[in-house]
Amino acid sequence: MTVLLLRLAGPLQSWGAAARFARRGTENAPTKSGVLGLLAAAQGRPRDADLSDLAALRFGVRIDQPGQRLRDFHTAHHADSGKSMPVSERFYLADAVFVAGVEGDTELIEHLHQALGAPCFLPYLGRRSCPPSHPILMGDPLNGSLEDALRNAQWQASTWYLDQLERAAGTNGASTDTASLDLLLDCPPAQTPHLSLRDTPVSYDPRHRQYELRGLLTDRTAPPPRHDPTVGLRPANLPTSDTAERSPRTP
Amino acid sequence: MYLTRFPVNTARTEARRLLGSPHFLHGAVNMAFPAAPPRDDQAPRVLWRVDHHSGSGRADLFIVSPVRPDLTHLSEKAGWPTLEEPGWTTFAYDEFLETLTTGDAWSFRLAANPIHHVRKSGTSKDSPTKRTAHVTRRHQVGWLLQRQQQAGFEVLRKPADRQLIPGHDDGAGDEHEVIVHDRLPLQFRKREEAGSRNDVRLVRVTFDGRLRITDANALRRTLTHGLGKAKAYGCGLMTLAPVR
Repeated sequence: MTVLLLRLAGPLQSWGAAARFARRGTENAPTKSGVLGLLAAAQGRPRDADLSDLAALRFGVRIDQPGQRLRDFHTAHHADSGKSMPVSERFYLADAVFVAGVEGDTELIEHLHQALGAPCFLPYLGRRSCPPSHPILMGDPLNGSLEDALRNAQWQASTWYLDQLERAAGTNGASTDTASLDLLLDCPPAQTPHLSLRDTPVSYDPRHRQYELRGLLTDRTAPPPRHDPTVGLRPANLPTSDTAERSPRTP
Repeated sequence: MYLTRFPVNTARTEARRLLGSPHFLHGAVNMAFPAAPPRDDQAPRVLWRVDHHSGSGRADLFIVSPVRPDLTHLSEKAGWPTLEEPGWTTFAYDEFLETLTTGDAWSFRLAANPIHHVRKSGTSKDSPTKRTAHVTRRHQVGWLLQRQQQAGFEVLRKPADRQLIPGHDDGAGDEHEVIVHDRLPLQFRKREEAGSRNDVRLVRVTFDGRLRITDANALRRTLTHGLGKAKAYGCGLMTLAPVR
């Protein structure tokens, strides 16, 4: 299986999963429908195109920097007629950074990778008004499992956020808990999901958008160090004769 | 050559004592080898560095050495001695060094002691010079750039559109893919009774950046012999990691 990792960072992001009427909420992490929509747009698929191949991809997110929730009391007027639009509340995540990954067939992933390099429609982070602040691609597709890729990807949080964490850890004792990142992964059919969201896209057709329920598994991962010189190195074998002597834990 | 990673348990008093003084840590690293490490300038030497992981309070001690170290003493005092897994991991560094080829790009980290020699203004050429630390980021980066060619690498240049002042090729201090952080003036005592006049003082900085190998043999030498001064005190060890 091949994995494509995406960096979703921007001043504002908004990932709605259950927004109806005038209150347009956001989840705490990118939704599958939002990210697959970004990929489909990069490929140039029309709104009513078939999505079954994308929806079959395994999807996961790592929350590198949770960001803050921002409420926008939205009082827009129509650009031509000047009539006021319905008053609505829109929620955004400010200063958030996520690593999202999709795992699937090598050919499709390669195609998505190329499409993101030269996207047909511009990518945005959940809502058209939320452009990304960093390149979305995080390098070439990787071999292996989605979970490993998400655990091993470099920590994408901004420097000011890391400094803030460090200061917080300094003032209230060394709490290592502050430095673990949340993982949200698609739940395999055999397991019981921890959460469920209605965000597997069936159709983006504006006349009749359809989404299916998706089970999620949550997990935490220690952030990978920013510079790990031991990547790809083989542990040196101990000389077999004196293993017991060298072991620090002989009773 | 071996590369060893030892995770430090910073909750232990002994670990704090060691991390607080490069002098004590130097002693502890030396004691990992039954025979005293050679002081021959032409032979690879023992190099070490402590990487602090921001936010988590965790730290790793990295050691590059010609012989395999035994860190049992450190594990018992500053590690997790009762866990089943060994308290440290030694990697076969020779294999890795062999794979380095000219033209490859790597990300690097180097803890170093950037210094220059100054002479009091107005004094004659014969008067002695004084070893002085570079203080500003620009001088510290300049120190690294000055040594890169002989050390077998070149720090990658930033594309013009990512520079602070695009197209400004000299003077802005932002043309290369390198940052300087953890700038730390160190002062520590070698012996209990000595006064503060005899303290060791040095400035240690950490460079993080990306490089391209220009001379694989020279870079191998840099990675195993160290770069710059104060190698006994946790400076001079450069490590490579895959570019992201």
